[in-house]
Amino acid sequence: MYGWIWRHLPGNAWIKALTSVVLVLAVVYVLFQYVFPWAEPLLPFNDVTVNGQ
Amino acid sequence: MAATTDHEDETERSSSVPASPRGRRRPPRHRGRIAATVSVFGELLITAGLVLGLFVAYSLWWTNVIADREAHKQADKVRDHWAQSKGTGTGKDKDTGPGALDTKDGIGFLHVPSMKNGEVLVQKGTARSILNEGVAGYYTKPSKATLPMSGKDGNFTLAAHRDGHGAKFHNIDKIKVGDPIVFESKDNWYIYKVYDILPQTSKYNTKVILPVPKESGVKKPGHYITLTTCTPVYTSRYRYVVWGELERVQKVDADRTPPKELR
Repeated sequence: MYGWIWRHLPGNAWIKALTSVVLVLAVVYVLFQYVFPWAEPLLPFNDVTVNGQ
Repeated sequence: MAATTDHEDETERSSSVPASPRGRRRPPRHRGRIAATVSVFGELLITAGLVLGLFVAYSLWWTNVIADREAHKQADKVRDHWAQSKGTGTGKDKDTGPGALDTKDGIGFLHVPSMKNGEVLVQKGTARSILNEGVAGYYTKPSKATLPMSGKDGNFTLAAHRDGHGAKFHNIDKIKVGDPIVFESKDNWYIYKVYDILPQTSKYNTKVILPVPKESGVKKPGHYITLTTCTPVYTSRYRYVVWGELERVQKVDADRTPPKELR
């Protein structure tokens, strides 16, 4: 999978490495900004009130 | 290996893939496909592990960064409001002044020296969206909190996160009986003293935030404060409860000199 991506990135090794870093950062950004905030309330880690529900 | 029979070849193929040498008779493509499938599967597992690791970093670190930033912004707003409305409000005005009743930005600050986390902004409500901004929220349901500024008998019930989102009550287990809990409003310091702690209770135990929390041993109406959060750390299996009773009220002076409990 990652090998496939690597082979399909354009340019020489340096450009590929740079593009990879950018891609990784983009994925982390999407996770932190959208995926985790969505997932967190669904997980039982952060209910702090007594509410009988 | 060159002398391998067809029969052996078959068993080898079905048992283990990477061990077989580059055979002349077998198209290398086939083995490549299985190996590729295994490797993609492995990469997916590694990816899943990394994502879970990132999620831990997100919940225990990043949410604190975000929440503290937000809480500081709102705390500054409250302080600004108070500074502006100073002088306009006099005497009886103190409980209804714009600063004191501005429930949107916050009603005041909670100082618990034994938690060693400075001041915690207090806002209305215990909804996730409010608590996630790194503040303590006072209960509006199932039992409504009685605000100390009202001067009425009742229970000032608060909730905040134990971990992540500011983790304002992370050190709640460091609070001992007899420790002070100070609430700072625009005009007054309300100094409470902790008299009972319930280290573990069910989240369904809504009696702990009643106006007269009988579970803490009190029977008569009074000025109580109740802090709730989740326990044990990193989970929300149970609730941790700390009760205090108002000891005295001290007027805020011009320099907002903190009471002796905070010095």
